Formats: sequence, structure tokens, C-alpha cells
Amino acid sequence: MKRALLCMVVLLVTSGAAFSQEIITLGASVQETGALANTGRYYRDGYNFAVEKINEGGGIRVAGKTYKLALKILDNQSDSNLSVRQYVQLLTQDKVNFLLGPFASDFALADSSVAEKYQVPMIQGGGASDQIFNRGYKFIFGTLPVASKYFESTIAMIGKLKPAPKSIALLYADDAFDVSVANGTRELIQKAGLKLTEDQRYSSNTSDFSTLISQVKSSNPDVILVSGHETEALNFVRQAKSLDLNPKMYAFTVGVPTADFRKALGKDSNYAFGMTPWVVSPANKDQYFGNAADFARAYTARFGYDPDYHTASAVADVEAFAKAIEAAGTLDPVKVRDAISQVSFPSLYGTIAFNATGQISLPQTVIQVQNDQVKAVYSQSGMLSYPQYPMPPWSKR
Amino acid sequence: MEQALVVSTMQLLSQILVNGVLLGGLYALMALGLALVWGVLNIVNLAHGALIMLGAYVGYYLFTLLNIDPFLALPLSMAVLFCVGYLLQRGILNLIARAAMFNTLLITFGIDVVLTQLAQIFFSADFRTINPSYAGSNFMVFGVTLPLVRVLAFVVALALTIALWLFLLHTRLGRAIRATAQNLGAARLYGVEPKAIYALTFGLGAALAGGAGDLYGVVSQINPYIGATLTAKSFAIAIIGGLESPLGVVVGGIFLGVVESLTALYIGPTFVDIASFGILVLVLIFRPNGLLGATT
Repeated sequence: MKRALLCMVVLLVTSGAAFSQEIITLGASVQETGALANTGRYYRDGYNFAVEKINEGGGIRVAGKTYKLALKILDNQSDSNLSVRQYVQLLTQDKVNFLLGPFASDFALADSSVAEKYQVPMIQGGGASDQIFNRGYKFIFGTLPVASKYFESTIAMIGKLKPAPKSIALLYADDAFDVSVANGTRELIQKAGLKLTEDQRYSSNTSDFSTLISQVKSSNPDVILVSGHETEALNFVRQAKSLDLNPKMYAFTVGVPTADFRKALGKDSNYAFGMTPWVVSPANKDQYFGNAADFARAYTARFGYDPDYHTASAVADVEAFAKAIEAAGTLDPVKVRDAISQVSFPSLYGTIAFNATGQISLPQTVIQVQNDQVKAVYSQSGMLSYPQYPMPPWSKR
Repeated sequence: MEQALVVSTMQLLSQILVNGVLLGGLYALMALGLALVWGVLNIVNLAHGALIMLGAYVGYYLFTLLNIDPFLALPLSMAVLFCVGYLLQRGILNLIARAAMFNTLLITFGIDVVLTQLAQIFFSADFRTINPSYAGSNFMVFGVTLPLVRVLAFVVALALTIALWLFLLHTRLGRAIRATAQNLGAARLYGVEPKAIYALTFGLGAALAGGAGDLYGVVSQINPYIGATLTAKSFAIAIIGGLESPLGVVVGGIFLGVVESLTALYIGPTFVDIASFGILVLVLIFRPNGLLGATT
């Protein structure tokens, strides 16, 4: 009897200890359902994987105490108004300590205002639009490359192709991210001395590109740059084929790096150019996951699909919080904010160090689908492997 | 030089017109089921787009798993969706038959949400396409490029419309459906059982949605969330074309396709929705029974 009593006391004490374990909660509102769910899952799974891994490694040390990380993720159903309300809820009711971001610029643009209002730092890896960062906000940090420079490396590569392309058509969707991309790209095209033959903005979620394609076809540019969403890239390629549009090359801001894109298009995805700020290479060392290649393997095994740069960006966000909170030595949001602005560490995604506006500088690597595989063809350091250019007309494939 | 410019402008214009007409054919098929259900059951089926989405997935899985050509799969896709529609009507919608419009909107909106969420759970949010080897083929007529699948889709859409029209006009069942739509009381007196007719009509509407979805998967892409915009488009076409005859819907669909294409060319691609819904408003003001409807 005595022994049983003792057991119970021990149990009570130990379970009490487990309950009182210190926890830091990161909150995020992510597209788990709705039109953006396909990309939203990269963030949900990336955040979870990073938090698990950091906790496995013992959590983080803050002023001599050990904390575990926890996540509070809400589903914003791909609705940016709901997303804003959820971030307010995360801070006022759920009392999370810090904020991770949603996917996509339109969301980050709105949600970052909540972070700024409540003076709680948000590190987000889903919004690249320059508009998010040029409002003088102090509490928003981003781990995607600057939108206006998305096509920088592509246009640098164009200058090295033979026969040299002379004319470009620029097509872009009418949301915050793609408008930023277009504004930057227009300047880059001008600087490179290329002729801009078409400059067309279309509605987000356009599914019929037949008019736009016929128009581009009649002005016959060498290069077509499309800044839009993955569904639009898919529809564009399909309809370009069925209307026999044959530029020397076309490049897309999104879609090309994902396995989904290649699976949906089959061999029609070949020759498409795209970009990624993240190359799965063992050279990208990481404190928690070893390196980028190890991470990618572990991720695919855990979630059943391949990670892309969205995932890597999401993981880097969680890691940046871990580093910054440890450096700050406190959970005070303003002090952690200052620590975030000072972090500089190598990660599986690249070097994470934020500039004055809160963005990291990460060059885009130009990629191309060749024989159903994604191949890196051009980076800041120059040509990695000469691309398949010009692309053969559809009739000769 | 100037002449060459005129020729190329003319060529672009004819290409755009052809694009618009072909697009309109598919639009018409999408709207046909919605218009039929609306006209007969007085239900604006907000889940219509979700049914198109389901039809697209049926076509997708028949193609990828069983290697059945999407055009051959069309009757199968329609048959599956007919059953779905029939059961929906029998199980759920009959409860609110002839109820206030608001209730039917609520229920069909609910069905739309449920179907969309189920689709994400079972099919995932991945983007899919039905991509047979000839999906991108095309042929040239007088310098105008005609995409093969769009032409085929157009022909199928037209054939289904005419078939539906003939069915409504010349068969006993078709006459019963029209009678129910025109005067429920009188139809009952002549021995028509409205419950059966309603379920059948809703099944037919769903079958048409299924066919449209299968074709949509061949020309565009499929994910669980394509439904909402397709419902909106179908709704606009049904109003523009009128609910009285399937031919009106075809005229409405083609008219909308052409207007959208011309708007994208001459005003700008971001104005397409403004143009189509602007026309919707104009039609409601000046021809509330549709372009081909009575002008009283």
C-alpha cells in the first residue's frame, strides 16, 4: 500500500514536471484547403518538420532554460481576409509567442500589418513582393528573393545564348507578387537592350489564354516570360501547344521546379525554363538537418512528396527564430525582433541574413526541364550547363 | 508593307473569333445542365461547378488508371454523374422541392462545399490534366490554327445540345419534363409523377456537367477548386442565353466566348470578367428572358 502511494506521488511529480516544461509557440495561418492548398502544404509540412527536428535536438536554450518549440497552425482556406483575422486571433486569444507566415504575397502583404500592429516579429517564407517590404515595417522578415529580381538571372542568361534573342513578350497576373515581378523585369529588359514586344497583364486565375497566345504569336517574340501561378503556367503551356506557339524559349516564375508541373504536363513540360532560389545540394550545410540533400531525402520519406524551395524557405523561417531567440536570450518580442535583424547563419536553404528592409538576398538559379528532369542551367556564377535552346517547334517534338 | 499589316491584323482577328467560338462551345455545355435544372426545378444549382469538377476527375482516373480515351470516357463520365445527380435529388433536394429560392441556394451551396472538401481529401489538391497524345494537336484552315481537342469538344457540345433539344421536344419523357416545368398542376393531372421527373432532370443536368468536366480536363487543368468560377460562368451563360431552350444556351455560350476573346484583344485581358458580367447586367435589363427569349 505504501509502495503504491509512493508510486503515485512519483507519477504526479514527474507528470507535473512534464506539464511545466517551457514552450515557445510559433503561430501561422496557412492555406491547408482552398485554391492555394497545393502550395500551402509546403509551409505546413515544412514548419512541422523543422519544429520536430529542433525539438529532437533538445529544443532551444534561452538564458539557461531549455524550451521546446510548438506550432499553432490555422487553416485560412485560401482566403486572405480570414488569414488576417486568424493572425489577430493567434496573438490575442491563442497568445502565441511569434509568427510564421502564410503562402503568397497577397496574404503576407495583409498579414504583416497584424505583426506590425502588435509589435510581434513575423518571419515569412511565402511572400516575395517588394510591396511587403517597402512600407518601413519593422516586424516583417522574408526568406524569398526580391520579386522584382526574379527574372534577373534569366535575363543575364539570355545575353549569353546563341543565336542571341532580341525580343521579349512579358505576361503577368494582376496580383501583388506578379506586378512587382513585372515592374522589375521591365527595367531589366530595358537595361539588357532587348525589345519588349508585348507587355500584357491578365487576371489571376485566368484559365483561357487563347487570345493572349494568338496575340503573342502574331508579334512573334524570341522569348516569352510568364509571371503567374502554377495553374496558369500549366494552362499556358497546354494552350501554347494546341495553338502552335513556338518561341525560342519561354520561362515561368513558378511551377517549373515542382514535380506536380512535370507530372501534369508529361513530356510537354520539356524545354520550359523556370527558377529556384534553392538547389538541393550537399553543399548547403545545416545545423539541424545536416545538409540540403539529407533534408530532401528525409522530407520525401516523411511526407511522401518532394520538397521544393517553398519548403526550404519555410524551414529556414523556423531555424531563424531558433537562432534569434537563443541570441536574444529572452522571449521579449521587440528584443527577438532586433536579434532576427542580426542573424547570419548557413542553412539548407542558403545563408540567412536579413537586410535593412527585412529580406534576404538569395540569387535565383535558372532551371530547365530536360527529358522530364529539372536541370540547373545558369546561376550568378555563370552558365552551369548550356540549356536546350532554341526549343524545337511543337511539330518536331 | 501596309498590306501585309492589314493581312496579319485580319488573320489575328479571325483567329481570335475562332478561339472565342470554340471556347463558347465548351461554355455552353457547362451551362446546359445548370439551365435545365434551373428551368425545370427552379433550383439555381450552386454545386453545378463541383459536379463539373467531379466529372473531370472521373475522366482523369478513367484515362490514367484504365487508359480510356477521354472522348470514349465521355458517356461513362456522364453515367457516373447521372447517378450522383439522381441520388442527390432523391436524397437531399427533394426535401426542398418547390421551396423558397433562398433555401435551394443554401442547400446547393452546402453540397458544393462538401463535394469540394471531399475532392481535396480523396484526390488531393494536386493539379491534374487529361493529357492524351493528341491533346495539343492542331490543324490550319485559311491561316487560322484550330486546336484539335477544342474543335472536338465544340462538336461534342453541339451534338449533346441538339440531342437534349430533340429529347425534350420529341420523347414522352422530354414532354413530361417540359410539362412539369410549365405547369406542375396540369402535369400532375395528366399522370406525371413530379418526384421522378425532378430526379431524372437533376440527373440529366449532372450528366451534362460530367461530360463538360471530362472535356474541360482535356483543354485545361483540374483541381478540387475549379468549381466556383465554372458555376459563375455557367450562371451568366444561362441568364444570357435564357432558360427556355438548349439552343439559347448555346447562343449565349458562344456569344460570351467571342465577347471575352475580343475584350482580351482590344481592351485587355484583365477586363474579361468585367465584360462578361457587364453583359449579364445588360441582358437582365433589356432582355430578361435571355437573348433568344420572349421580349415581353
